[in-house]
Order: sequence, then structure tokens, then C-alpha cells
Amino acid sequence: MGCIDENLLAELAAIVGDRLTTGQSVREQHGQDLSYHQGHAPDVVVYPKSTDEVSGIVKVCAAGRVPVIPYGAGTSLEGHLAALRGGVSIDLGQMNEIVSVNIDDMDATVQAGVTRQQLNRNLHNTGLFFSVDPGADATLGGMAATRASGTNAVRYGTMRENVLALTVVLADGRIVHTGSRARKSSSGYDLTRLMVGSEGTLGVITQVTVRLHGIPESTLAAVVSFPALDQAVKTVIETIQHGVPIARIELLDQVQMAAVNSYSGLDYPEQPTLFMEFQGTPTAVREQTEIVGEISTANNGSDFRWAEHQEDRDKLWQARHDAAYAALALRPGAKAWFTDVCVPISGLIDCITETRRDIDASGLIAPIVGHVGDGNFHLTLLIDPDDAGELKKACSINERMVLRAINMSGTCSGEHGIGYGKIEFMEAEHGEGVNVMADIKKALDPLNIMNPGKIINI
Amino acid sequence: MTERLKPETPEQVLEAVQWGLAEGHTYEVTGQGSKRGYGAPPAATHGLDLTGLSGIQLYEPGELVMSAGCATPLADIAAALNEHRQRLAFEPPNLGPLLASGTMGGGSIGGLFACNLAGPRRIQAGAARDHLLGFHGVSGLGEQFKSGGRVVKNVTGFDLCKLMAGSFGTLAVLTDVTFKVLPMPEKTRTVLVLGLSDDDAVVALTRALHGAYDVSGAVHLPADIAAESGVSYVVDAGCSVTAIRIEGPGPSVDVRCRALRDDLAGFGDTEELHSSNSHSLWREVRDVDFFIGDDKQVWRLSVAPADGPAVARAIQGEIGGRVFYDWGGGLIWLAIKERPDADHQSVRAVVDAAGGHATLIRASEPVRAAVPVFHPQAPALAAITQRVKESFDPKGLFNPGRMG
Repeated sequence: MGCIDENLLAELAAIVGDRLTTGQSVREQHGQDLSYHQGHAPDVVVYPKSTDEVSGIVKVCAAGRVPVIPYGAGTSLEGHLAALRGGVSIDLGQMNEIVSVNIDDMDATVQAGVTRQQLNRNLHNTGLFFSVDPGADATLGGMAATRASGTNAVRYGTMRENVLALTVVLADGRIVHTGSRARKSSSGYDLTRLMVGSEGTLGVITQVTVRLHGIPESTLAAVVSFPALDQAVKTVIETIQHGVPIARIELLDQVQMAAVNSYSGLDYPEQPTLFMEFQGTPTAVREQTEIVGEISTANNGSDFRWAEHQEDRDKLWQARHDAAYAALALRPGAKAWFTDVCVPISGLIDCITETRRDIDASGLIAPIVGHVGDGNFHLTLLIDPDDAGELKKACSINERMVLRAINMSGTCSGEHGIGYGKIEFMEAEHGEGVNVMADIKKALDPLNIMNPGKIINI
Repeated sequence: MTERLKPETPEQVLEAVQWGLAEGHTYEVTGQGSKRGYGAPPAATHGLDLTGLSGIQLYEPGELVMSAGCATPLADIAAALNEHRQRLAFEPPNLGPLLASGTMGGGSIGGLFACNLAGPRRIQAGAARDHLLGFHGVSGLGEQFKSGGRVVKNVTGFDLCKLMAGSFGTLAVLTDVTFKVLPMPEKTRTVLVLGLSDDDAVVALTRALHGAYDVSGAVHLPADIAAESGVSYVVDAGCSVTAIRIEGPGPSVDVRCRALRDDLAGFGDTEELHSSNSHSLWREVRDVDFFIGDDKQVWRLSVAPADGPAVARAIQGEIGGRVFYDWGGGLIWLAIKERPDADHQSVRAVVDAAGGHATLIRASEPVRAAVPVFHPQAPALAAITQRVKESFDPKGLFNPGRMG
């Protein structure tokens, strides 16, 4: 066993009792996320039930200088939870209590292991919902730690805008409560948002207070195809410029559309296609749909389909929901390398077009799906991980896309984060800013035990 | 203060910081100076006047993004945005007149973000910090650095923009900022409900905020405050006024206003303000006009909205004072008679019990030097705050003591 001895195990057991395992398969599962990145098993997995237990575990780890890696649902995509230097994986799955729902103030406080779908099921009949919807049913703790977002960020924001307060166990085991249910905190630096997106490198998030939103009275979904990518993106830019508060606006490229047609037996034109959703009062929704309909038509959009009833909307959006499976079905047996970048929307056409050119030249299959309202798009590279040549080609496509995005004043990831998968690009994106982050890391985690080797190398 | 440095470029800011480090100087960092009276008075040996770093550097209306030198006057930014019918959606207040310090023209864009100030639309559009996309700056270690960029989403490391917003210039000197801008709505209307008690008003505001009305302002003015409004409809009401703002495309604004008035009819009589009266009323609320020009001390209390009236009542019961409510009841502006300790213990005891925060916005310099302007933090939180400060500015070069 790496850095853990029998004494340390006994100290951990004194805190969590039998909620601890060193079994190989559980350890391996806790060191591997949903990505192609090489997993690294921790030495032990513990399952605390309270913030105090987490605090006790971290104190033991600090005394033994043992790495601590928080684990939620294991759905990250850049190797965030790989125990690169061994250590203790803290699985927060058993901290899954919904602490309070405040309907009047439209917020909810949950333990870190509550998943987003669990929270939304619990909100049933309150007229409220939690908006952030990454593909996976991730935990709120994990979503806060990775600053997760989803398809409706353009309207409701990401975790950055939706986390109001946190309880965090720091590297020395101290417990802090950042932020409050008050909408505005003027009591010092914004430590809540320093923790949001810190990927477990500054502390373990054990409790999260999030903002809730009212379920819209009326929702309308629409799908429209375009002969060329630039016309689709122009439609998005004009829609946003017009101030239409569109809830979702997603782009699927021609390769992805071919994939969903074949996977789901649909007959969409195999062209760049926008999937949209409008929300609000029935009048507002009709108004928004009309405006966007006009903008689409002016940009050569065709085959405009829309649906109002839940069932019809689901059918219409099926293609979008099935995108990941449809992509995988393009090459059975392949492994998916998910990657994403975000660029200023004026650079989106060039960035996607040049990336598509690289993919086509490489001979690999890689559909593109974008949350285009934010300038964010995703690539699913379908590769045989045992084929060194393919891996190399995929690496090169990814690297060129990332550097292209950074050169356009964009970012090497709009959603998935850094983990250890994109750590090599931090310097290119932030320059001296990396040193500033390293100083913060050293100040808050002087022993470098909190998820070491992620975001920045110390 | 012995000397004031006035750099004209980011490189000169860097030189000034390095010189300060070498000589053991400290700086009071200012832009237009409109918010010098906000926070504890910094005990600095020198001034660092950033007005030389002014001007819009990039404006892409199609992309809804702008970059500007940190001391660019807000008035210049508003004028440029106005040409394209765009605006800063978080509705930056002009606190110059309230604070009666420095210029009255609305301050600078860097100061706005450094103080993280937002107006009534915060409930819909978010805080200033939610609109800051990137910046360049110089740390107290004498290093130039940048963070963020021109995109609304990024998940690449620690969110330094959020740390700068609300740091009151105590972590780094911002030399330029990049931020989101948004289209202006086609139409603005305000629904007024007349004569409500504070408690009923917050219930009505909560109802409005929960509905599908997409409310962009939710304020309650008790009768004594409403009587001081410059808007005739509000003054002439002769009672308390609860105001709810609706913005957007014409037809949907009409429909939403009508539906909201129907929904709130059971609370009291309703009225509707059109564009110019609406703008006047929300500007008054935004800039806290009702408390300008007197000698009262002004507190800003943040609580969960539902707790607003009880908190105000408890404080008024103990020490008196006048209040009005913004953000659906979650923000209380409180003006009290001048006292040497600003009654901070009484105010904070009530706010603490409700899990909120109290900031002393306006008081004389000696009072702000003696009383914690910002809400004291729990010890563990204060300890990491100190560590964050030291990681940016270990020598305490910038605005020493301003945040207490």
C-alpha cells in the first residue's frame, strides 16, 4: 500500500467504523472517472456521514501528509478524481440528505452527496426547480467543485451563479461556512466562489446551498436546420443580441445529426441544426418563438419544427438527448474522448470550422455538439485507446483546438475543467495567473494534500 | 499621505508597486474617487491614482462584451453602450452623492467591480461580479497577471475574477477589466401596490418574484420614504408604495403587468408607471436618494428576504431609524441618527440572529475607523481570508485596513 499504514487505517476506522474499504475493485472504481484518462486507485475509500467526520478524516490525513481526494458520483471528465499520489478517497455518497428547502426564498441546502435529479424529485410540487443540468446525474458537491454547467446556462447560469453558500472542510480539517442565505454578502472576499470550481484542491465541500428557479408557465421547443454552419451561428448571435431570453440553444453539426438519425431512426436533414427551448408566459414564449423564427428564416434556416406539449417536446429534443449514445454508436467498441472549449461567439464559426477540418484530415470520427449561446462546444473523439496512432491523432486535434481557442481569447475548457487532463494548457491560457493560483493553493493547503496534481502542479 | 503616484500605463503601475515594495510604502488605490468613503479609511503612506488608465479598449456589441481601462468613468461606458441600446444589466448604483465623497459622476468601472456594487436589478441579472469576465492586474508581489478572458463560461482553475470583485482593492491593482453587457429592453413598466404593511409587502413581492412575470425590480417604500420620492404618483399616493418592475418586449410587458396586477389585486390598490416615471423611481432606489444630504449614518443589511421586515422591526424597536427594502425584502437600507459607535452592536446582534450581514455604508471617517465597516467573520473564515490576502499582497501594500 502506497502512503497509508495500518495506524492511519485504524485512525480512519475510529472515525467511520466499517464505512471504509481497501478492496481493489472499489479502489479502482474510485480512481477512474468517465474519461479516457488513465485512472489511479486511491489506497483506501471512506464513506463519511457528516461534516464532522470529513473534518476528522482530513485531520488524520494532514497529520500523516496523505492526499485527500473527494469523490461524488465519479462523472468528471478530465481525470479529476485519479489518486495520482495515492491517498484517501472520500466518497460523499452517503451524505445525501436534503437539509432544507426554503420555498419563499427560493433556495435549498443539501449535503454534498445529493444528486441533481434527487434534488429535483424532492422539489416536485413546490413549483421550483434546480437548473444546472450537466449530462450526468452528478452530486451537488461535485458540481460545485467543478463549477458545472449544462444546456440552460445561457438563461439560468452555471454553478458559479447558482451556489449561494458552502460548508467546506479545509486542508487542516477546519470547517468553514462561506456565504449565507442572504442574497448579498459584504463580509469579505468571495470565498464561496473561490471554492466553486477548485476541483477539491482547496478543501472538501460537504454542504451546498443553491438557488432555485420557478418552473416556467409555458415551454416551447423548436428545431431548425441550416445549409451551413455560419448561418446557424449567425442565428444564435442575432437571437442573443436581440435580447431574447432563450432558455436553451444547442447546435448539432452534420456528423452528429447523421449519428442521431441512424441511432434513433429519425429523418432530420443532415445539416447543422439548432435545438432551442423558450420559456415564460404563453405570450412571451410565442413572442420569442416568432422573433427567432424570423431570424432563422433570414439566415436560410429551413424545416422549422416546434412543439408545445411535454410529450411532443421530448420527441423533438430526443435527438439532442441521445447525442452521446448516438455518437458512440457511430463506432461500436470505440472509447469516447470528450473535450470542450469556449470561445468568444464571434470566433465560434472559425473555431468549429477549423476543428472540423482537422478531424476530417485525420480520418477519425468526431461529432460536434455545442452550447452555442455561450460560445462553448464539445467534441467527442471516437478512438481505439489501444491504437497509439489514433491516440496521437486525437491528442493533436485536441491540442490544436485548445490553442486555437486560447488564441481567440477563449478558454481551454468551458465545462469539463482541468483535472490533470488539461493541466499542460494552464500556462498557455493564464500565463502569470498560474503563479497567483499556486500562491493561493500554497496558502490554503501548505502540505499539498488536497487532490494534489490537479489544476496546478506544486 | 505624503505623495500621490499617477501611473499612465499598466507598466507604470507595476513600477509603482515594485517601488513601494522596495521602499516599504503602502498605497491607497483610487479610480475616480467616488467611493473613497466606503470602507474603513486606509492607513496608506502614498496614493496610487489610476485615472491615467482610462478608456474603452474593446467593444463588440454583437458579442455583448466590453474591455476598458480600470478608471474609465462609468458615464463614458454608459454613453458608448447607449449608442447600441445596451447596458450593464446589474444596474450599477452611483453612490457618490450618498457618500458625498470625491466625484459625483458615478465613479469608474474598476471601482465598481472592486466594490461589487449592483442595483435593484441584481435579483434578476446577478451581482457585478457575475458580469466580470476577465481582468489584468498587478499583485502585491509586484507581478503582472491576468485572469479570465472574453467568454462567459470557463472552468480553468480558481475563479480570480470573483475574488477581485468585492475585494475593495486589497488584493491587487486592476489595470483593465472585461465584462458582459446586455441589450436594453424595449419597454419598462412598474406595477405599484399601495398602502401595504412591510410584512404584507414582502409577501406580495415574493409572490411576484415566484410568478412567471420575470420581475427585474422588487422594492418596498414605507410611507415616510415614499413621501420623499420625486415621482408624483409615488408621493401623491400618501401611503407606502410597493413597486415591481417588468421589462422586455412591448406586448409581453403589457400582458405580464396586467396579469401581475390581477394577481396582486387582493393586497391593495394597484397603479402602473410608464417608462420615464419608472426610470426616475428605480434610479432613486438604486442611488439611495432618500438618504442623500442628511447627516444620518446609513447601514445596508443583507438578510434572507422573508426575514426582512422582522429584522427591520427589531432594529427600529431598539434604536429607531428609517428603512426601505430592495431585492424583494432581502436588502434593507437603514438610516439612523449619528452615534459614535453607529450602534453597530445592536444592529449586528439582530442581523446575526437572522444569518445575515450588515455593512456600515455611510459614517464619518473617525466612526469608520473605530467601528468594523464590514460584517465581522467567524474565526475560521477570517483565517482563510487572511491567507488569501497574504497570497496576493503579503506586505499589505494595497489599501491597508480598508476591509478592517
